[in-house]
Amino acid sequence: MKILELKNVNKIYDGSEVPVHAVRDVTLEFEEGEFAAIVGPSGSGKTTLLNLIGGLDMPTSGEIIIDGVNLAKLKPSQLIDFRLRNIGFVFQSYNLIPVLTARENVEFIMSLQKWPRKERDARTYELLKAVGLEERMNSRPSKLSGGQQQRVAVARALAPKPKFILADEPTANLDSKAASNLLEIMEKLNREEKITFIFSTHDPRVVKKARRVIALEDGRVFSDEKIQSVND
Amino acid sequence: MIPEISWKNIWRNKTRSLIVITAVTLGIISGVLLVGIMQGWVEQRIHDAIHNEVSHVQIHNAEYYDNEDILSTIDSLNKIISVLESDPEVKAWTERTKLTAIATTPWASTGLFIYGINPQKEKEVSEIYTKIVPNGGEYPDINKTGYILISDKTAEILQLKQYIITEPLIEKFRESRLPDNIVIKLDSIKGIRFRSPKEFKAILEKKLNWKELDMYGKLIMDSALDYRIRNRIQITLSDCNGNPVQGTFRVCGIYKTTNTGFDQASAFVNINELAELYGSDTPLVHEIAIMLHNAENIDNVKNKLSTVTDKNIVHTWKELAPDAAMMNDFMYMYYFIFIGIIMLALAFGIINTMLMAILERTKELGMLMAIGMNRKRIFSMIMLETIFLTSAGAVAGMLAGWVLVSMLGKTGIHFSSWGEGFEAIGYSANVYPVVTFDFFIFVIAMVVFTAVLSSIWPARKALKLNPVETLRTE
Repeated sequence: MKILELKNVNKIYDGSEVPVHAVRDVTLEFEEGEFAAIVGPSGSGKTTLLNLIGGLDMPTSGEIIIDGVNLAKLKPSQLIDFRLRNIGFVFQSYNLIPVLTARENVEFIMSLQKWPRKERDARTYELLKAVGLEERMNSRPSKLSGGQQQRVAVARALAPKPKFILADEPTANLDSKAASNLLEIMEKLNREEKITFIFSTHDPRVVKKARRVIALEDGRVFSDEKIQSVND
Repeated sequence: MIPEISWKNIWRNKTRSLIVITAVTLGIISGVLLVGIMQGWVEQRIHDAIHNEVSHVQIHNAEYYDNEDILSTIDSLNKIISVLESDPEVKAWTERTKLTAIATTPWASTGLFIYGINPQKEKEVSEIYTKIVPNGGEYPDINKTGYILISDKTAEILQLKQYIITEPLIEKFRESRLPDNIVIKLDSIKGIRFRSPKEFKAILEKKLNWKELDMYGKLIMDSALDYRIRNRIQITLSDCNGNPVQGTFRVCGIYKTTNTGFDQASAFVNINELAELYGSDTPLVHEIAIMLHNAENIDNVKNKLSTVTDKNIVHTWKELAPDAAMMNDFMYMYYFIFIGIIMLALAFGIINTMLMAILERTKELGMLMAIGMNRKRIFSMIMLETIFLTSAGAVAGMLAGWVLVSMLGKTGIHFSSWGEGFEAIGYSANVYPVVTFDFFIFVIAMVVFTAVLSSIWPARKALKLNPVETLRTE
């Protein structure tokens, strides 16, 4: 089932003296349950494309349609609410709320969505267990390693069962062991939860795990390749 | 969860938050203390004005009120008495003769109002009988004739207040902890009569050094004070025909209230004796003083008494002591000024702290916006942080202020060095601070208002953040 569609999306930054065409005429479609990597060198437009898909930035032209909703038609307040209910974010530098414990960080979006307490608790435990951190659920981010923090961030993004998760360079700050561990968890959750993962990366280990690889160059889609996984 | 995050956010930078909380605490303590002292003075002034000077309500003949003529007595006295006797709101009342007179002793004279009173009834409307100074004799008795009650100030003017170091006093000083060298110095002025505090103080200043004076001056002054009780005072006034008449009274007692102005102008004698002096078979009644069960009903009583006759004029305490009434009415304005200034000063510190907190957390705020925290929630989070930060200090300040005021309310604060100045305008040199429940409600409202106001700028700053840009920063 198609959950995300980009039609001739362009993004031009006019701020500087020379306009920067960060994303050029990108047309893509994503199905439910995909595990897709957006790759490309620095400055190829990976992060900009993720920001556009996540509704954090608006395209200069073109349309982004998520589950039948055209993002350009939403008012700013509706867009924030749309993000809250449909998109999960995983950031390069984890960005957990430092004053909350791992459990509270995972609960946070569900509490904004007003999930009942019981369901919230059950979902939090289930996800922290899935990422192997049920023993550290009461630890604050400062007491967790980078890999553990990123696993909490993945659990947080998954918690409210969004339509898809956008992860911007999720392994960039992790050592190879932590990165591989995170990828295994993401892959497992992608299969079990049937939630689409779209992540930008230039880490070959991540690319290897992806079942679809979209390569960007100078803001254009250079290639879009679906890879038959051994698990499929 | 937003309130929880806000509360936890305060403690990210403990030192910075504690500085703000301490500043708010100290600000509120000073506000509570300042208002407590003010309120204590106002309540003391109102209490003393009502219970010593003017009662709740007074009635005079309208003409007497203008010209103080001896024959301008209260109109329709019997009707008024019958209204007073039948009114359940009236607790007590008394009638007075009030005449201008000159009091003379062999050493000095002064003008004053001489009140003819019924001592028994007077005790029900006035607390002057409780204001007799130590070793100052006694309040007039209805059964004893020829006595006058004067104030400490009048005694001083008429030189009936003298200071003398006697042999028994020297013995007493020796037995007490007074150093020997001071006793020796005092022995050198033994037996000399000083007719004014100024004169005695001057000799003490010559004999003792400033440190000795500071430590023992008050004790020596109080111990050496000797009122010339039973001394005669000649009173000169006009009789019913306008002719001057003179009478002699012995001083039965000396009183002292917190209002030197009132004290200086007021002396009391038996109402019937005064009538004999001005040549009337029955006492002339110029003033009726009334105390009520509940001061809230004052306007009802005034209206009832005003309808008896239009020749009299009825005044409430607010009209007779407008200074006290004004202070009472303006109390809320004082609250607003004192607490307003304190909160305004604190607001700058709070804004500064919150701005720093926001600038340190731009990336986190950007992340919160990205994952779907809307403007309302971001604003609430920052506003709650400000309210918690300010309220923590305010609660601590109110508690500490309340404890301080409660303690000082029992011990009092003694401004003895400025005593004369305070008493000249009707305020006691000993103030017992008091704060009302209303005041704390007012402080809470002001704290919340300040916190909300202080949060607007930092919150607006946060709302202007662009999630994409903030997330890009490392």
